[in-house]
Amino acid sequence: MPSPPTTIAALRSLLAVRFPERSRRSTGVVRTGIRSIDDALEGGLHAGKITELVSTAPGTGGQTVLAQLLRVTRVARQRVALIDGANGFVAEDIPADALKHLVWVRAHGAAEALAATDIAARDGNYAVVIVDLRGLSERTLLKSPASTWHRLRHAIASGTSALLVQTTTPLVPAVSWRLLLQAPPSPGMRRSSRAALADALTVEVTRGHVEIEEESA
Amino acid sequence: MNYAVVLAPDFALQAVLRNDPALFGKPVALAEGEGRKAQLSQVSVEAFTVAPGLAVALAMARCPGLLIRPRDPTAESEANRVLLAAAFTLSPRVEATSDGCCTVDLQGAEAGPTEERMHEAVAELAASGLRVRIGAGATPLLATYAAHRGEPVLVVRAATDFLAPLSIDAAQPTPTQAAVLHGWGIKTLGQFTALPKAEIARRLGTEGVALWERATGETMRVLRHVEPVKTFAAEWVYDPPVESLEPLLFRLRRYAERVALELRGAGYVAEQLTLTLFLEDETDQGRDFRLPEPSANLDGWMRILQAHLDTVQTAARVIGVRLTAKHARPPLKQDGLFDIGLRDPAAFWENLARMGAIVGDHCVGTPTVLDSWQPDSVVLEKPAESVPAPEPEPMHPPRGLTLRRFRPPWPARLAFLENRPVTVDADHTRHEVLAARGPFRSSGSWWDPTKNWMMDVWHIEVSSGAVYQVVQTPQGWCVEGVLD
Repeated sequence: MPSPPTTIAALRSLLAVRFPERSRRSTGVVRTGIRSIDDALEGGLHAGKITELVSTAPGTGGQTVLAQLLRVTRVARQRVALIDGANGFVAEDIPADALKHLVWVRAHGAAEALAATDIAARDGNYAVVIVDLRGLSERTLLKSPASTWHRLRHAIASGTSALLVQTTTPLVPAVSWRLLLQAPPSPGMRRSSRAALADALTVEVTRGHVEIEEESA
Repeated sequence: MNYAVVLAPDFALQAVLRNDPALFGKPVALAEGEGRKAQLSQVSVEAFTVAPGLAVALAMARCPGLLIRPRDPTAESEANRVLLAAAFTLSPRVEATSDGCCTVDLQGAEAGPTEERMHEAVAELAASGLRVRIGAGATPLLATYAAHRGEPVLVVRAATDFLAPLSIDAAQPTPTQAAVLHGWGIKTLGQFTALPKAEIARRLGTEGVALWERATGETMRVLRHVEPVKTFAAEWVYDPPVESLEPLLFRLRRYAERVALELRGAGYVAEQLTLTLFLEDETDQGRDFRLPEPSANLDGWMRILQAHLDTVQTAARVIGVRLTAKHARPPLKQDGLFDIGLRDPAAFWENLARMGAIVGDHCVGTPTVLDSWQPDSVVLEKPAESVPAPEPEPMHPPRGLTLRRFRPPWPARLAFLENRPVTVDADHTRHEVLAARGPFRSSGSWWDPTKNWMMDVWHIEVSSGAVYQVVQTPQGWCVEGVLD
């Protein structure tokens, strides 16, 4: 009979081997639970990278992506921050259990949303930080200085979180991935289960994993 | 080690310097007296060419860049409070002995941790702009001797060895006694205490005995304890008023340091901070900051307050500020073996409060849906320390697209044909209705006339293929959101 572990760390390691489902942690890639997106992103949202999800029209499934991402990260017990720029999230439309890992930040405009994102991106406790900028004035967003995104890119790159930015028009410069949601689900799919709807979503990749050379100081 | 003395040398000067960042690193002196009689009372180390007692005019001639300042009673009072707050972190029995000097009764305290705490107090006070020395010994007097020689902390364990080489002036003899002792060739306390006490009494009388007892460091006295503070607040004024963030933050940090020290000394943490700005136009602007994880960490407080102040615009200049901390006992918790906790709990709670400072405390948290069908029946609660294990998937998983709500909803006008909507006017656009489902009627709280509600909900597909949720309430029609 093997000798019992003598330290808490050894005990945790032993338990992780015996009960792997109990010790799931972030592995650097966070699955979204949407096949087309996970395929396009080579597994899911990557820690340290910014992914922009552009909903080119209302009803193209951006909120379904969010709901599915919450469900999948809940199962993996990964913490998620949602910075809700236009305060459009509807919590009662999501199963109560799928909200327990979520920190919802109800911002009042682009300035507040970007300031809160800057804080959440540097936190290190979130597997995913979602910034929903849909519903905000495109003119205001386009006026936000490029340095804002530059700061965010650096904050995310030095941390362990993945940043998902939801927009209605391509907005984020130097983004690692940009995905376009273009068509609403067909009328026949609208009463399907969320999982089926999520699987039916199609995305177009307009920018794929561009590594940006870090400026030398 | 029964007593400790916390001593701030050149206290009045330090009190002035810590309040004015423009004086850092410059030759500064405090002056007392008026006109030609004005002379320097305390000088900073940078003004090494002048000394206390020098006439101001002469000092200015010797040190052309010398900055002369008067004493500042308000700054001294605040610095005394900081000193007391630091002393209370050593023991709850503290005497405010004099300006810049506190005596702490350490009887019953463990020597090792207390000495460590003394070093921490010195560092905290240094960060707060007060350079102090701490001495500890068996009596208050011995602790005072040690404090004058602490670099920065000196604990006297062998009193005789410590006192022997000290100058006889340390025992503060009167001029007459000093002359007599000088005549005897006595220069140190050790030489003086080597003389028999009875012979000193016979030659120098009762005053001589008192001096001899002071020289042995054995003189005892009863401390006049001060009450620890029960409200944790600071209020100060700016003269002249400030209009930029930097000077405001500098003083805010100074006062917040004191409040945090007072909290820690009393064994409390802050669960809420309240910051009030008093403006030149006689209005004020207040804001509460709920700390999700109560703490007395100054840096964390400052990051939260700065996150708020960065976004604040006032109609007039700031003439004063009040900072209040609502105290609470530190939370106690035990992590579970299987918990997937926070990687950096301190950063998590602090960042939560910082985001709350930007968007509002009530706008950050984990959503919990209330037991109601009324839309938006959600409260935001403090996030869990660890993400709990997920519950089994529901028997009937959710179906259909997810609603994204427009807050506020868009006012709308609907045209109906045979009880079915045919056009929707909203957001300055007319949409042709391709298909519509509804109405789905819901209502609640009918028993409470102030809270009852009722609405008819339609799901309307427009030509772009998007499905909007349109509702009719007693107030009229509006587009509530889009199924996305």
